[in-house]
Amino acid sequence: MEQVIANGLYLGAQYALIALGLTLIFALMNVLNFAHGQMYVLGGFVVYQVYGLMKLPFVVALVAAAATLAVLGALLERFLFRTVIRRSEREESTMLLAAGIAYFLDAAILLMFGEKQRGVHKIVSGVFVWDNLILPWDRILVAGLAVLFIVAFILMMQYTKPGRAMRAMAQDRTAAQLMGVPVQFYGLVGFALGAMLAGLVGGLLVTITGVNSGIGGPISIKAFMMVMIGGAGVTGGAIAGGFILGMLESVGLTVLHAYGDLTYLAIFVAMMIFLAIRPNGLMGKPWG
Amino acid sequence: MLRMVPLPRFAGEETGACCFPPPCSEAKRGRGTTRRVVEGARRSALGYLGDEPMSRTQGAGRAAAVAVFLAAVFVAIPWAIASTGRTDLYYTLSSVALLAIASGGVWLTFYIGRINIGQGAWALAGGYASAVLVATYGWSFWLSLPAAGLICAFASVLVGLPILRLRGVYFSMVTLVLTEVARLTALALPITNGARGITSIPTPGPIRLFGLTIVPAFDSLAEPNRAFYFLSAAMMTLCFAGLWRLVHSRLGQLFAALRQNEDLASSMGVNVPLLRVVAYAISSFLGGVGGAIFVAIAQSIYPSSFTINDSVNFMLNCFLGGLGFVFGPMLGTLVLYFGWDLLFQTGPYQLLIYSGSMILLMLVLPNGILSLLNLRRRAP
Amino acid sequence: MSRFPSIRAGLLGLASALALSLAAPADAANPVLKIGFVGVTSGPAAAWGTSNVRSMQTLAEWWNSQGGVKIGDKTYDIDVVTFDDQKDPKRAIAGMEKMAQEGIHYVVGPNVDDGAAAVRPVAEKAGIIYFPYAFPKELYAKPASNAVLGMVASYQSGPAIYKYLKEKKGVKTVAFVAANESDPLSQRDSGVAAAKALGLDVVADKDTYQNDTRDFTPVLTPIVKLKPDLLVLSGVAPANAPLLIRSARELGFTGLISTETAQDAKVLEEGAGDLANGFISVGGASTPEIRSKAMEEFIERYTKKFGEYNDESNTKVYALQYIVDTLKADPKAIDNVDEFKKTIDAFSAPNPYLKDSSASLHYVGDTSFGQKRQLAVPLVVNEYQDGKFKTLFVANVD
Repeated sequence: MEQVIANGLYLGAQYALIALGLTLIFALMNVLNFAHGQMYVLGGFVVYQVYGLMKLPFVVALVAAAATLAVLGALLERFLFRTVIRRSEREESTMLLAAGIAYFLDAAILLMFGEKQRGVHKIVSGVFVWDNLILPWDRILVAGLAVLFIVAFILMMQYTKPGRAMRAMAQDRTAAQLMGVPVQFYGLVGFALGAMLAGLVGGLLVTITGVNSGIGGPISIKAFMMVMIGGAGVTGGAIAGGFILGMLESVGLTVLHAYGDLTYLAIFVAMMIFLAIRPNGLMGKPWG
Repeated sequence: MLRMVPLPRFAGEETGACCFPPPCSEAKRGRGTTRRVVEGARRSALGYLGDEPMSRTQGAGRAAAVAVFLAAVFVAIPWAIASTGRTDLYYTLSSVALLAIASGGVWLTFYIGRINIGQGAWALAGGYASAVLVATYGWSFWLSLPAAGLICAFASVLVGLPILRLRGVYFSMVTLVLTEVARLTALALPITNGARGITSIPTPGPIRLFGLTIVPAFDSLAEPNRAFYFLSAAMMTLCFAGLWRLVHSRLGQLFAALRQNEDLASSMGVNVPLLRVVAYAISSFLGGVGGAIFVAIAQSIYPSSFTINDSVNFMLNCFLGGLGFVFGPMLGTLVLYFGWDLLFQTGPYQLLIYSGSMILLMLVLPNGILSLLNLRRRAP
Repeated sequence: MSRFPSIRAGLLGLASALALSLAAPADAANPVLKIGFVGVTSGPAAAWGTSNVRSMQTLAEWWNSQGGVKIGDKTYDIDVVTFDDQKDPKRAIAGMEKMAQEGIHYVVGPNVDDGAAAVRPVAEKAGIIYFPYAFPKELYAKPASNAVLGMVASYQSGPAIYKYLKEKKGVKTVAFVAANESDPLSQRDSGVAAAKALGLDVVADKDTYQNDTRDFTPVLTPIVKLKPDLLVLSGVAPANAPLLIRSARELGFTGLISTETAQDAKVLEEGAGDLANGFISVGGASTPEIRSKAMEEFIERYTKKFGEYNDESNTKVYALQYIVDTLKADPKAIDNVDEFKKTIDAFSAPNPYLKDSSASLHYVGDTSFGQKRQLAVPLVVNEYQDGKFKTLFVANVD
């Protein structure tokens, strides 16, 4: 059982970090970023390139991934999303744009990095064994880093000026604007930050699960589920959703081991029932 | 059952951009309240269907447009295919028609203000319903087709009642999960033959009425693909005509009211949960019908026949065509599905060009392709 | 609304004009023989179709550079026409229709069960022989007649592998794990049946994972606890294999791990490193001990053309070779698949990719399908060791 809980916590930490970026962009811009998974993949490939092939230190690779994605996010916001949001009558229209960008990144990544699964050598080797519990050190390190990033993100949102501005925007964009928050600028910053988080977690996980050009779409969908469980547009919700989904998978796969084929069916149906009871997720604000 | 409440008078006046124009017969009668609602809608930027109170010339124009459409679909296209020998287009265009039917369902849920990314589930369910009825129980395909639609409609009521309470992204996400639930259910159930799917499904048989063969058996035809094209195109025409009629009916007005403001509609005595579920059932019916015909063409169905990708594409078709237009999903499907086929010779760059043009199109026409019509109307 | 039909008609006209103009033939001195490919080259499963397409393109380019292939009294240049079905059976049908339109009679693909089943009506109607990489028996057994299995099926390789492991490595208990999708689940079911028939004790046969799983530790935790002697990764995608192996080993699993699908050594090395040592998989003319000079040259040309070789192509090199060699044996089959079906019963040609000069290309499948609807590809069972595959044993399928 310890193993199951440890697995769940580890999964939860990485899921939460994935969900954070998605929910941030959603909170600020009301954009459901279908390309989130592709950004994750791109982050993974940057680390593969810099750390795996160019043999630079892992930290450098991680910074490179974060920077690449932040720039990409900013460019996407400035030249695509901003225009479409301004010109469209229904803000859901950005979904088509986001899906188009997702396909585009898919295609570009496939052309650049090929169709194969890629991986890098372990950053630390060895396995931590304690009683029944087995955890490789690199997983512990990655989970630790993920938690560190999450905490840093929360602190930034809570105590810095941009953080406060973005929280204000998430609550009420118009009111924030009236109070003198430069909403356009912070929309850009938020988008860059969200993309950066996706790249960061992709870069972290390439050391454990590797990366391939096709997993972007599935990752996005998984991230949607976490956000939905926790409640869209809320930092706490994303983190809670990530950990809940992690636990659900870990515990579900063990408990329902004998009914293997039905495990995921049960998880998804449970999710639907949960949402039917709590239409705004665990702590989400009503939408629309 | 369904309480048809006259639309509250001030809904149109207050928002200025509220509701849907009433059926033309009523508009002609010129009842005071509806007249005002019509004016409100006319001023609205949306201009669903670009509808305006019918004048005689417009009525004639519309009839001509319908005639052109029918002639194009049922005469010009088959003729063009026959004369160029591009018989592969029969299948491609049948696909467009069938996917457009399912997308039309998604459009209807958009119309009541819900982003539906779950139509793949109903297409799959409809496909399986028809496949099981035909292959296992020996039904005629022609009976299984409406049955598949009705089964989907019925099941969607059960699913819809709880999940339609959700709004915005929550509804879209829960429908996304629903697609995956449908796939996993198909994998798990014995009646669907699990992972091995249902294969070697017979093609549609003949329809006989009083000893007269109205539709011949498809496998007796030299070109079954052409028959499937006519079937799909006819179904598409039928479904969109129905959809168009629906949104121009009293019920359609109420649906539009739901999109504007469910709480307000509810306070006016509109039975919101019932209306929502009716719209969703119709939507799922369309998904089921589209899926069932697809299965007849492929003569096989697997749990992966309709997936999350399809669900997303159905939604994108609506966006691309234009959410404000009944015929948006039709055009959107044509462009998105056909576009992919056209690019097939570009090899490895296919997806890049495809998605690149999608982004460009979105930048130029963020409200869908049919919003061009609005621009043109406003210009003079 | 009123403008809509005309727009639609206009678009359609434009579209068909475009489509027609795109279908221009390649300019060459020799007449061109078009061979089709319908399969997946984008999305999560891109690796499967990509190795197919690239094998075909490499081979075609090689032959064309030598002046083309002589079939009957004519010499042809081979042109590979590819269609990406995005792993969607609906698109696969469209792809097959395209092939029929191009006048193509021989198509490699699709890569998965649902696509292979969906294209059957078109292929039979249009007179196309296709070579799927999918295992359902009803595709190849009567009344179906136009599909030829392009590789060794899991229900053929599985028993051979389990038997070998039972006799040579003392395996007694087996656990299965598969993605919850049609192909892997079907392969798991046939694997379980084969293992039971051999008298092995199947300790886990229900564990599944979603194909989007990136971390397999939760999936494998309950299985590793059962301590099976052999863990079978049924129908595992090349991208997932190293992740599963790594998770199992890190959880302390010490038994053997095997799969019935082809894998890529580089992917295993990057994804699992030393932990993948001892992993058993299936390949074609894969290992240096058995492959011929021609195979070496093929690999060299592939690597030069695309930057990196894919070990899955060890099996996938065969389909085009078979098509062309069969046409050489019966030139009338070039546009008549009934001739092809007659010819394959007695067809035999030397296998250029194996060192063993007695090895031949021929069609098999009598046992599994009741008719010859399978390419005889050597069933090579490999063991991964430090970045390379080592041959464990070679078997034949009848």
